[in-house]
Amino acid sequence: MRLFFSGLRKLSRRPATYVTFGLLVGLIVLIVLAVGATADSIGKGANTATRSAAMKELVTFPGAYDRMLQFILGFGGLLAMIYGAAIAGSEWGWGTLKSSVARGESRVRYMLVSFASVGFVVGIGLVLAFAIAIVAAVAGANLAHVSTNGLSDSATIGQLPLQLVKGWVSMLEQTALGFTIATLARSQLAGIGVGIAFYFGEAFATILLPDVVKYMPFAVANAAASTGSGGGAFGGGGGGVIATLPADQALAFVFVWLIGALIVTAIFSSRVEISG
Amino acid sequence: MSGTGGLALATHGLRKNYGSRHALDGLDLTVPAGVVYGFLGPNGAGKTTTMRVLTGLIHSDGGTIELLGRPYKRGDRRRLFEVGALVESPTFYPYLSGRSNLRELAASGAHVPAKRIEELLDLVGLCERADDKVQGYSLGMKQRLGIAGALLSDPKLLLLDEPANGLDPAGIVAMRDTLKALAAQGKTVFISSHLLAEVQVMADVVGIIAAGKLVREGPLKDLLAMQGVVKVRVRPDLVDGAVKTLASLAPAEPLTETAHDQGWLAVHVSGDRAEDINRTLAGAGIFASGLESGSDLEMLFLELTGGQALGNGEGNFVGLAANGSVAGDAGAGEKGTAA
Repeated sequence: MRLFFSGLRKLSRRPATYVTFGLLVGLIVLIVLAVGATADSIGKGANTATRSAAMKELVTFPGAYDRMLQFILGFGGLLAMIYGAAIAGSEWGWGTLKSSVARGESRVRYMLVSFASVGFVVGIGLVLAFAIAIVAAVAGANLAHVSTNGLSDSATIGQLPLQLVKGWVSMLEQTALGFTIATLARSQLAGIGVGIAFYFGEAFATILLPDVVKYMPFAVANAAASTGSGGGAFGGGGGGVIATLPADQALAFVFVWLIGALIVTAIFSSRVEISG
Repeated sequence: MSGTGGLALATHGLRKNYGSRHALDGLDLTVPAGVVYGFLGPNGAGKTTTMRVLTGLIHSDGGTIELLGRPYKRGDRRRLFEVGALVESPTFYPYLSGRSNLRELAASGAHVPAKRIEELLDLVGLCERADDKVQGYSLGMKQRLGIAGALLSDPKLLLLDEPANGLDPAGIVAMRDTLKALAAQGKTVFISSHLLAEVQVMADVVGIIAAGKLVREGPLKDLLAMQGVVKVRVRPDLVDGAVKTLASLAPAEPLTETAHDQGWLAVHVSGDRAEDINRTLAGAGIFASGLESGSDLEMLFLELTGGQALGNGEGNFVGLAANGSVAGDAGAGEKGTAA
């Protein structure tokens, strides 16, 4: 456990943790407040009423709960992958893994426990981001003069814990992907770069190979966390998927990708020669 | 102290290949317990590869290792709980303080009592800057922190790769004293270094490798006794006569590399024969104006490694060796002035 808590201490002081979280939350708050503030004043012309209604819908509860979560999981998934790559890559790039291995630490344990710490932080980040997004949505609703009566909808609120857990697992999978890519590359930058390329590559591939892409990591992550409300359009890789797997099936594939990525990390870490 | 045979570390036929290149080609090391062992070799000789193999960072292709008296094989990572290591440059989280870095490093491997971190910060002289982020540390400070990290688990065997890198003179003296004190406590200090002068004043036993093989190993005193040199200074116009006169004692060669060398001769005899040389010259009517006796690790190193240049820009070792000077950087032996 001391390695796990050490991982948490390191992440709690790492600027990347706050930059990543700040980016996600900042964007959500900005968008939601902007939508709230402009929903009633989007100008004149055709479809004005429709557009205004669509904007207001974003901050209308109880649907706003789901839309906020989908936004976090979509854009947050990409950030989680980058974050995972940054953490794993730095262990190789800075040589801190080397120091621990030279002290007799197990490479596999070190990497997997490091991932567990990252996963824990991602979970906390998800909950905090969601809470802040809800507060922002309430503020946006007030700005847009939309009622917040649906805020206390018990049926929706009752579903939230399960949705958050599914969302966390989806983000874990994307974090693991970045973590593994950076481990294979043994570099932060290469890990982040390849991860982003993979993310957008998967999105573009949906145009040509939708039946294949629906099984790919970002697509299944989005599908697993989806509630079928049409959210998740911010999700890049999975966001534009035409054909998606049913949520339960997608969740199974999320686990496959998650465990597969961690196995690759473990095998590579245990065998690779550490130099430089 | 170590287990069987009083050895802290031994390798037998250790091999490591990188493609077709033999980084280690049957390396046999014998490191007694409780000594400072200087591990020397030119660039690319296999020093760092040896360090990496010993710390489990890379795996050997053949040969065996005995660590603290017991065989050490792939997967025996827990054996490293008794070993402290600083391999290549020290590595840290730049956004954490020195104290935090030690704390997080201590979370891996063997258990480390919390007070140990404070003791080590004090030992390496970093208490005042312990709460500063490492990214603001100088190279020397990072090196000190690296040495503290290597000492975290109070190891029986300490493996240090170029520990003097970046240290200022005071830091080097402090490090030397610390390492000697550790050896006096029965711990074994294995130092890989290019700084021959530093090794010469610190090491009890020396191993020299070239092209992945051990070329000489033994107590430093014994090796230097076999590699004695006495420098004599005579009037420049008497140099040829002095060489002929001294030929009956030992080969002598004039040093001509720089103007400073004018009149100096290097006589390859044990350092304790300076008096014989002085007497022989005086008998021939040649009076020495300067005499330096001693032994030189640099000369031994160059002779054994085939004069391979270090080529890493460290000091002026190659130049000094080329002109045969033993004063100054070599820090060798006694110096005296006759006549």
